[in-house]
Amino acid sequence: MQLSTLKVPGAAAAVLLLAAGCTGTAPSSGGDEDSADSTGSIRYLIEQQEDPGALKLLDAHIDEFEKANPGITVKLEAMPLENMRTVLQTQLRSGEGPDVFNWGSGPGYAGALAEAGLLYDLTDAYEQNDWQIYDFAKERVTFDGKTFGVPGEMETIGLFYNKTLFADLGIAAPESLADLEAVSRSLLDEGIVPIGVSDKEGWQGGHLLSMALSSEVGSDGMDELLNGGAAWDSPDVVSALRLWEDFMDAGYLPESPTALSYDGGNALFYSGEAAMLPTGSWLVPEIEDNVDFEVGYVPFPSGDGPGIFTGGLGSGPFISAGTTETEAALKFVDFLASQEHGQWTVENLGSIPPMPIDTKDLQVSPLFGQVLEDTSELSGGSGDLGYNIDVLVTDVFNEAMFDGVQAILSGQKDAEEVAQDLEAAFRK
Amino acid sequence: MAMVVIFFLFPLANAVYYAFVDFNGINPQPPFVGFDNFVELAKDPNLWPALKNNVIWILIGTAAPLAIGLALALLLWAVQRGSIFYRIAFFFPYILPQVAIGVVWGWIYDPVRGWLNQALEVVGLGSLATGWLGNPNTALYAVLGTAVWATSGFVFVIFLSALRNVDTELVDASLLDGANTLQRVWHIILPQIMPVFLMVTTITLVGGFSVFDIIFIMTGGGPAGATEVLGTYAYSSAFQLNRISYGTTLALVITVMAIPFAVWLNRLQRRLSLQGMGA
Repeated sequence: MQLSTLKVPGAAAAVLLLAAGCTGTAPSSGGDEDSADSTGSIRYLIEQQEDPGALKLLDAHIDEFEKANPGITVKLEAMPLENMRTVLQTQLRSGEGPDVFNWGSGPGYAGALAEAGLLYDLTDAYEQNDWQIYDFAKERVTFDGKTFGVPGEMETIGLFYNKTLFADLGIAAPESLADLEAVSRSLLDEGIVPIGVSDKEGWQGGHLLSMALSSEVGSDGMDELLNGGAAWDSPDVVSALRLWEDFMDAGYLPESPTALSYDGGNALFYSGEAAMLPTGSWLVPEIEDNVDFEVGYVPFPSGDGPGIFTGGLGSGPFISAGTTETEAALKFVDFLASQEHGQWTVENLGSIPPMPIDTKDLQVSPLFGQVLEDTSELSGGSGDLGYNIDVLVTDVFNEAMFDGVQAILSGQKDAEEVAQDLEAAFRK
Repeated sequence: MAMVVIFFLFPLANAVYYAFVDFNGINPQPPFVGFDNFVELAKDPNLWPALKNNVIWILIGTAAPLAIGLALALLLWAVQRGSIFYRIAFFFPYILPQVAIGVVWGWIYDPVRGWLNQALEVVGLGSLATGWLGNPNTALYAVLGTAVWATSGFVFVIFLSALRNVDTELVDASLLDGANTLQRVWHIILPQIMPVFLMVTTITLVGGFSVFDIIFIMTGGGPAGATEVLGTYAYSSAFQLNRISYGTTLALVITVMAIPFAVWLNRLQRRLSLQGMGA
């Protein structure tokens, strides 16, 4: 029984190591200028693509960069977004992180890393390289007067719907909340899940609230909320949250959205079991690969009209403050911010770069063409665009929002309680 | 001694230091805050639901593998043919990576395509089908079920080895005296394997205090905190909200709660060994 006498201190040590594991070390203060030259090997971390083929395409595209920049090698790595959310900060802090990585913009993402001193300041690089990024997009990666990254692709969040099924059933795309409810009732009568909401991961809840709230209060109302001019437990927010509570009670959503993964919810739409899918334009390429019916895309409706798309920026490249390959990383980011790369992403990845792009000769699908057109118009200021909340708020607020929507969809809290939690989290 | 310092005392001192400062992961010289983290912890409304889940996990996560492992070991005690196969088959889940277990069981529990709900439909129990990991009433138990499945094989193998040393003449004698199965297990077999039983209890019980990985993989503590335990709460505080010191304080509390149980069980086991009991 010698083993057992060792097990107790061993087990205690294991618990202590857990305690020790919660501690960390401070990151380095910035890039290593001493080692600055235009050669080197860099690691580029991106989130895992919905379409595995996209990774190969990007890898091949990076080969072109390497050929044009002898001496620089780029090792492309991909990681599920969920994992990136949990390990990226730890990796960057430990000095074991990637040199360049794609990450979300706004205070909730890049802002948190910038505040932690984990991002390389790209303010000078913007001037030197004359990157033509839309001002509103650049603002999302600018904190305390310093610009830390290149915003990712422009994305809208709205409602995809099965156009073929709608036509077969003789129903039109919803142009108001009343329409959406009527459409949902018709679909429910046909045994079809009206809206393929998934929320197992939790972050989808941020999108659900963003689209309902943006459509209801518009960008001005969102500005008020995000700037602290309006309260998060105001009637508008409660109403946007209650909408999902009511939809859940009415059976318009799958039975257990909080048990359904994002992929699972998407699969319901692809298979025709769900007729509508509330998500973002980033899913267009995957939708086109997986469905054999026509798909339409509309904003999430408001009480009195068709509503507005919720706008956001996807993950774009940032340089780690701790990189020892600063020059090589800067050259690579310059490549990623170029007009040529922007056009390449439109044609090959189906994404929309945050810069003016000449698209007239580009070959794109009808669905993506529609998204491209809508987004270009909205970026040009011809219409209102809502806000994706999760990239514009703090981690504390995000946690309250993700948990709150999950709580509503799993019957643990009602809209009023969640709105109060949001207000409390916003004031922290 | 060096090992104790490196792997025990240094981490402990480091953790204690961080519990008394306010470290957000950035400031190399975090301010001293005294007992503020502990005071906040005592008032934290999220602490008690997480602790309650830990208690449920400790009770069921300790008792169920012990019961299942012992029952299996007793069933297969006398089996000679295929003994190695059974041992490997039941032990296999224990050596699988927790990530793989979590992912596979996540599919099993999937509300739409998961075979658990489909099996319930087939046998006419479709009304019981639910989103196992998304329903706050079932999520913790669904993850716990997975953990019990993964641990029972380990307990089984240990008990089976211990049973090899049980005096079968005593068992035969009790049989002649008319003892039923439960009486034989309780009065004849269990006392003989008690030190091993306590060792396994210690391992599973301490594991219940520090449980993290399987919950983090399968539910992330959700939905809306329904499966949050102290381990996942410590992690999210430290690494998702950048409250390293608060997360460390939580981890210290886990440690402080676990050590007395481990020490008590260890002493009990040693005393029984000295009394000459056991395999």
